[in-house]
Amino acid sequence: MTATATPPAKSGGLFGADEIKAIKDPLWDNNPIALQVLGICSALAVTTRLDKAIVMGLGVTFVTSLANLIISTIRNFIPNKIRIVVQLVVVSGVVIVFDQILKAYMFDLSKQLSVFVGLIITNCIVMGRLEAFAMGNKPWRSFLDGIGNGLGYMWILAVVGAVREVLGGGTLLGTQVIPKALYEAGYVNNGLMVLAPGAFILLGIIVWVQRSISGYTEK
Amino acid sequence: MNTSSNGYVLGFAVAVCVVMSSMLAFTATSLKPAQDAAAEFDRQKNVLMAAGLATATDTRSQKDLEALYQQRISELVVDTVDGAIQTGFAPRDVEKRNAEAAAKEADKAKKKSAMTRYRVVAVAKGDDGASSYVLPISGKGLWSTIYGYLALADDAATVKGVTFYKHGETPGLGGECENPAWCATWQGKSILDESKKLVGVIVKKGKVDATLPDEKRHKVDGLSGATITSDGITKFVKSDLAAFEPYLASLRK
Repeated sequence: MTATATPPAKSGGLFGADEIKAIKDPLWDNNPIALQVLGICSALAVTTRLDKAIVMGLGVTFVTSLANLIISTIRNFIPNKIRIVVQLVVVSGVVIVFDQILKAYMFDLSKQLSVFVGLIITNCIVMGRLEAFAMGNKPWRSFLDGIGNGLGYMWILAVVGAVREVLGGGTLLGTQVIPKALYEAGYVNNGLMVLAPGAFILLGIIVWVQRSISGYTEK
Repeated sequence: MNTSSNGYVLGFAVAVCVVMSSMLAFTATSLKPAQDAAAEFDRQKNVLMAAGLATATDTRSQKDLEALYQQRISELVVDTVDGAIQTGFAPRDVEKRNAEAAAKEADKAKKKSAMTRYRVVAVAKGDDGASSYVLPISGKGLWSTIYGYLALADDAATVKGVTFYKHGETPGLGGECENPAWCATWQGKSILDESKKLVGVIVKKGKVDATLPDEKRHKVDGLSGATITSDGITKFVKSDLAAFEPYLASLRK
């Protein structure tokens, strides 16, 4: 972004101040996992390996951005009485499309993610963004907000997934990273990391570190 | 426009549903060929895995594995009534043939047995040249029908490997049946007892006590938290093996 093209105070344009804020805020200052503590169940379930975590993160990014875009485009026509139902229909539709794409092109991963792709529908981040952002903002900005939130969710999942895979299985993206010599010297993989409690502990540490850096305190 | 009138709400709901369902129908039909191809490759990979020619985390490309399948695996049609090998029709026509035969039967029990009369066995050539026999197995778990492959070594009695590749069991509980570590515990089990009677492989409740010869020979550890899935597997493995028994007996001679 150049200062001449978009003065910081003025919003609008493709990448104005508000647009940048929509995409950057959820990455750190208002992270859906670290600050809002949303979407925790899937963060525990699909982070045993880095590739699973990344694909899940991509899925949530795909769903939040597209659902935000669609809902924001039709926001002025949605009757208030049935807005949650309409949001759910749109979210479910987008999730099923993503699931079908996975089944066609990444069959192995789709088998491993099993029900958790379908469960993106109930991920609180998705509905939360629709209600809090897309219902009151223009399509482009909502789309960016969706991307930002998806990526904010994804990087935390990726960190948890990477740590769990290295400590729990000695591999990263399927390739061995802990040298054989270390195993011969008596090193063993940490079984706790393969199970959900391992993810719980890691998430707790990440939330703690993230909050102490960003200076956030519970009000 | 009054967006809270009943007529508008109803019309809007219908419109949203119609648009979303046509979008889903379009994606589903346009991705179907790619999905079928992916599922077929997954099936072939599982045959290779059961026969010990590939692993679950194989790094070889899809092309290499497909070539390996072509090279090492030959599919045969077996008549489960007398165990004879049927050469009259190709393995891919088996389902159609069974369905046609079943449609002619009036009796319900006969219909059912006709549905599964002809089955496809994959004969795999191992790295050492010995054959192994990969049998399709399937049956009910807790929530779903579980599909898998059981490979027998060239004595047609010792388990060479097993895989379960399609199921709808609970992830983490019954879904653990596809865990390669658990499947590996099936290797070396015998489906016949000392008097050559068919026992199958029994998924025990709890852990196998290796000091008891009977348990060591036929049983594998149960899946914790998944008793019904475990019992289901025990049951359908035995009934499918019983169906193949005439064919397997002819191999043992």
